[in-house]
Amino acid sequence: MTYDVQYWFGQAFYSFFAIVGFCFLFNSPRRLILSTSLTGMTAWLISLVLSALEASFILPSFVGCFFIGIVAEILAQKKKHPVLLFTVPAIVPFVPGYGIYYMMLHIIEKNFDKAIRHGVESIFIAISIAVGIMLATSLMRILQPKSRSLFRR
Amino acid sequence: MLAAGAETYRIEDTINRMIRSRDVDGPEIFVIPTGIIITYRVDGQEYTKLQRTKTKGIDLEIIKSANEFSRYFTAHPITLEEALVELKKIEGAPQFNKYLTAFASAVGGGFFVPMLGGTMIEMFMAYIGSWTILATTARLQTNPFIKNFLGGMVAATSGVLCVWIASLFGVDASVNKVIIGPLMLLVPGLPLIAGIRDLISGELVAGSARITEAMFIFIAIAFGVGIVLQASILRGIL
Repeated sequence: MTYDVQYWFGQAFYSFFAIVGFCFLFNSPRRLILSTSLTGMTAWLISLVLSALEASFILPSFVGCFFIGIVAEILAQKKKHPVLLFTVPAIVPFVPGYGIYYMMLHIIEKNFDKAIRHGVESIFIAISIAVGIMLATSLMRILQPKSRSLFRR
Repeated sequence: MLAAGAETYRIEDTINRMIRSRDVDGPEIFVIPTGIIITYRVDGQEYTKLQRTKTKGIDLEIIKSANEFSRYFTAHPITLEEALVELKKIEGAPQFNKYLTAFASAVGGGFFVPMLGGTMIEMFMAYIGSWTILATTARLQTNPFIKNFLGGMVAATSGVLCVWIASLFGVDASVNKVIIGPLMLLVPGLPLIAGIRDLISGELVAGSARITEAMFIFIAIAFGVGIVLQASILRGIL
């Protein structure tokens, strides 16, 4: 795969519109669609950069979701809405749908080694997404008094 | 809120705040994805309420307005009748028009294909598939297993048909990528992640219930797609 300018712009464009679409599916409030999609797009680009640098599959989604969690906490404090409204559509690109699909496909082909490989990979990606967001949330809870005084100044 | 897919701890927190704002002692709340149990004390007498819920799918607008309502409820002394009227308003309020929702959500499914390295033709086919799923199964009133089973079948059928028709015109397209796009609309990624999150934060019952829900949705989709793929392989279309 080539990593030129066109590739990055394309990825940004596609992920942005994919998240916008999912915002409509989840009936997200209108005013939050733009900020949520930009958050998700940035996180997806971060994870793509990481996966281009290093081949591991857990780190990119973990760091991307950590980023989403932190930005979502800040946005939620500013706009006074639940954090869930920002995280749910933004993590959609990370959800391991293709892994689950390939697992099923390999089960049909009776290729159980590959099926297990894709299944375990999907489960670990899901865990890393959850841990990334949990970690960001807990971190912001610890830092919250400090960050509030920071915003006031 | 629970039916719209909010987190367990947020629901417990919201109910706790709402009850405490009305001079009621010692509320104890237990939330699992299939129901809510609340115990509270008025004048030394204990009352318990059990409310069953059914998941309907994610609806962020409901979560947002329920959150705003709970803030309003704790801050202002409104009566229960007024509160009930407000809650009814929250329940039946579709934000966007039906066709716009289907159109835009299908864009979401379609744009997944180029993200995973597909071509523009494959994206268009995935768009058709996503739209077909939303038009046929999204508003179906059956249990989630059958709904996702049919959804998977529709996704696979439209994918296979599109690729087959394209191949008649001499255009190559990968069936896998065309099917993945629409499937992203059905795949239970969020129950899975919410479940793992609940498990990590110590809500063992709620977490395992959510993960089990995700597993069964996944099995349903796999059955639906699998049957169609197997049939098309046997028929020699693929």
